[in-house]
Amino acid sequence: MSTGSPENPGSTGSTEVQPRAVEDRPLGQIALVDLLDRLLGTGVVLAGDVVISLAGVDLVQVRLHALIATVREEMKKP
Amino acid sequence: MAERGRYLYAVTRGLTGDQLAGAQGLADAPLTTVEHDGLSAVVSDVDLEEYGEEGLRRNLERLEWLEEVARRHDEVVHAVAEHGPVAPLRLATICLGDEGVRQRLVEWHDALAEVLDRVDGRREWSVKAFAARAPGTRSEPTAEVGATGGGAAYLRRKKEQTLSRAQGEEAALQVAEQVHARLSGHAAASRRLAPQDPRLTGHTGTMTLNSAFLVDEDREPAFLDEVQGLRAEHPDAGLELAGPWPPYSFAVLDQA
Amino acid sequence: MSEVPGGPRRGLLPQRLETDAESVERDLFKLVLTIIELVRQLMEKQALRRVDEGDLTDEQVEGLGTGLMHLEQAMEELKSRYDLTTADLNIDLGPLGTLLSE
Repeated sequence: MSTGSPENPGSTGSTEVQPRAVEDRPLGQIALVDLLDRLLGTGVVLAGDVVISLAGVDLVQVRLHALIATVREEMKKP
Repeated sequence: MAERGRYLYAVTRGLTGDQLAGAQGLADAPLTTVEHDGLSAVVSDVDLEEYGEEGLRRNLERLEWLEEVARRHDEVVHAVAEHGPVAPLRLATICLGDEGVRQRLVEWHDALAEVLDRVDGRREWSVKAFAARAPGTRSEPTAEVGATGGGAAYLRRKKEQTLSRAQGEEAALQVAEQVHARLSGHAAASRRLAPQDPRLTGHTGTMTLNSAFLVDEDREPAFLDEVQGLRAEHPDAGLELAGPWPPYSFAVLDQA
Repeated sequence: MSEVPGGPRRGLLPQRLETDAESVERDLFKLVLTIIELVRQLMEKQALRRVDEGDLTDEQVEGLGTGLMHLEQAMEELKSRYDLTTADLNIDLGPLGTLLSE
């Protein structure tokens, strides 16, 4: 698993680290979401629409954030 | 005829291209270095059709493209890290020719030197914490069949639910603060990143902490002990540790 | 309905409701139910706010509570008819967070 050594400061492995719990990642591997966060610098953001498709054909795009905005406007009325 | 650009992966000190013989750049292009005043920029040739302004605008929205580029970029950064302190650059920093790269090194010289000093002998660790409760999981419906009391009682129960949920959230955030503070004590530097979208992480719980720590290699055992200790104190926080990584979060240049 | 493969989601794309002729009824129902649930939760929040503000009569509070209670019961019944949980309905809106906050 780990291939680095204490005298190689830049390496991504390490032999002096305790064994990891099962849920930790293998040493050195970065999850894509963490990597993109850091390489893109903005945090990854996903689009907020729902596209309804049938038999592989995109048919309808529901803009849900527009719907919410409308409802909230209604709530402001006394 | 396709125009070429220089893709800039990372900056380090005193490195030459042949030292990176094992690694390759994007599209398997060879890696070379551009030197200036003690700094070495690691670069490779890329097609501006793909990496120019227009190309990037298209490609940055394609996950398959992003993944491939990010992975290769990361491989190069890892390869450079084998040789000494490294300042990784953000994705898709493109220069025109070696002269363009050299100009960047001139412009960023002091900032880069500072980064390299800061990360020397240190590695990045990521720690995440989560709230025990997943968003979207509702507590039991308040209106059971034959529930006692009428409408007013129902509203009171709803109110109580809202309050206890808010208290739970508050408590989870406080745990996150504590984790960050305690671990910062063992790190040379720390940074808080935005919580990640559950759809990307596959987690059901809400992420309450997404921190990066720059830790001296000889302080790593103490840092990791602290993580274990915090895990034991807060078993519900789902603390996740990852690393060691190259210092991505600590190489931020103001000009970038 | 074809779901995204299990494990950490990799898609950065808008969420797609892939339907086919067989599951289209259930899928569209799910979308409709989600919107109803959103409205119901917003009504509840607003009702609690009004009760807190203290400008409602006891009768109005009782009426609101009973109405909302029935709505919740109706919602539970509709969900169970199609074997859906609240988590199933929780469409994500990216930067706006999940549709249903609780």
